[in-house]
Amino acid sequence: MKTKMITLCVNGKDHRFEVPVNRTLLQALRDDLKLTETKYGCGTGECGGCTVLMDGKDSVCSCLTLAVEAEGRHITTVGGMTHEGELHPIQIAFIEEGAVQCGYCTPGMIMKTASILANNPNPTEEEIRKGLDGNICRCTGYEKIVQAVRRASVMMDTAQTRKVGGMRA
Amino acid sequence: MSSRVLPQFDLLEPRNVADVIALLSQHENQVSVLAGGTDLLVWAYIEKNKTPYVLSLSAIEGLDHLDYVAGEGLRIGAKVKVAQLLKHPDVAKHYPALYQAAENFATPQIRNMATVMGNVLRASPAGDCSCAILALGAKVVLQGPAGQRLVDIDDFWVSYGVTERQPDELAVELRIDDTSSSTCSAFQRLTRVHEDLSKLNVAVRLEMDQDTCKQARIAMGCVGPTPLRLKKTERLLTGAKISAELLQQVAAAAREEVTPIDDQRSTAEYRRQVSGVILKRVIEQAVAKS
Repeated sequence: MKTKMITLCVNGKDHRFEVPVNRTLLQALRDDLKLTETKYGCGTGECGGCTVLMDGKDSVCSCLTLAVEAEGRHITTVGGMTHEGELHPIQIAFIEEGAVQCGYCTPGMIMKTASILANNPNPTEEEIRKGLDGNICRCTGYEKIVQAVRRASVMMDTAQTRKVGGMRA
Repeated sequence: MSSRVLPQFDLLEPRNVADVIALLSQHENQVSVLAGGTDLLVWAYIEKNKTPYVLSLSAIEGLDHLDYVAGEGLRIGAKVKVAQLLKHPDVAKHYPALYQAAENFATPQIRNMATVMGNVLRASPAGDCSCAILALGAKVVLQGPAGQRLVDIDDFWVSYGVTERQPDELAVELRIDDTSSSTCSAFQRLTRVHEDLSKLNVAVRLEMDQDTCKQARIAMGCVGPTPLRLKKTERLLTGAKISAELLQQVAAAAREEVTPIDDQRSTAEYRRQVSGVILKRVIEQAVAKS
């Protein structure tokens, strides 16, 4: 088949539409669903700009995932991190630590952070740095991003924690 | 529109292995098998791979098993992701070399997507899991129209990018040889930054009796067209007591045995120089943990 009717569950909401089978998840998110918060960087799985969460905890490169292959999975983009207009603690931590400069890598960084903390709520600095492998930032030098991940882990540990968007579905 | 667009293809979504084999037999070299996609889609983007059919394994039940059975070994289904190796306690316990390779493999996103089998089928000399699997010893289970056959990992890679798998066969499982309490293994690699492909990787499996090595398997990557066994160097270790002097001889032998080339990640000269050093270190690491 050359096209397929699929149902994509993004940020807790089902979208039913027809896609060419060679369309990537990134293209489906950006071009079909107009969810442009997920960024195109290298297109070959090296920069992490297109990182989304699968089933609430696994980070994947949406540029190397076919849209048809994402059917049946819960996909979370950074747009699904806010809850009723309120920012997620990870987003607040990035703002408070000044971990954002040009901002292009930030959606991927936020989703990677969500993945790191979903798998390990209290990571060490080494675990944070290793977890951030695969997400490239050309502005910050990573220091403030590492601090933001640490702050988010403390905030999520102490505050009332909310589940990541895709998990609510 | 995002700037890279995949070439057109027809998607095949068989529901069981028998249907996969039928489709592979029908289309032969016209079809690419998709599991993780981290190599296949990159190759498609850069137009090295333009098969008219892509066969997805997604709809198939099974092939996602990861089981260790004492006395038999580790079975890794074709759809098992690299990240799954890190979550299985028996991999860390019985196969440190494979665990360490998986731990250092690419990036978290790629580990969540890429399959272990895909790394072996890619037949790249730089494959980290491939290097560990070659040192540990394994069989690749290939299923074709006539049934299953087992190919020893030592015979599986024919040349760069080419394996023993025939176009009408599906690689369904990896069977890693069993280990015992006297087995130790380890993996190391050299890269500039973590995300890079290895410029050199090495894994060893040693059967030890106190300080004496009874048997050794050494696998090194990025020093030849496929991951290489360093059989001459292994013979120096067999029956010998591990000592600083022996490791110096082993390092010198490895430098003689490898056949590296210059490429964008390193030079033949550098690879030859460090091959002995990193082999010495990986043996020390393996023995220290046994």
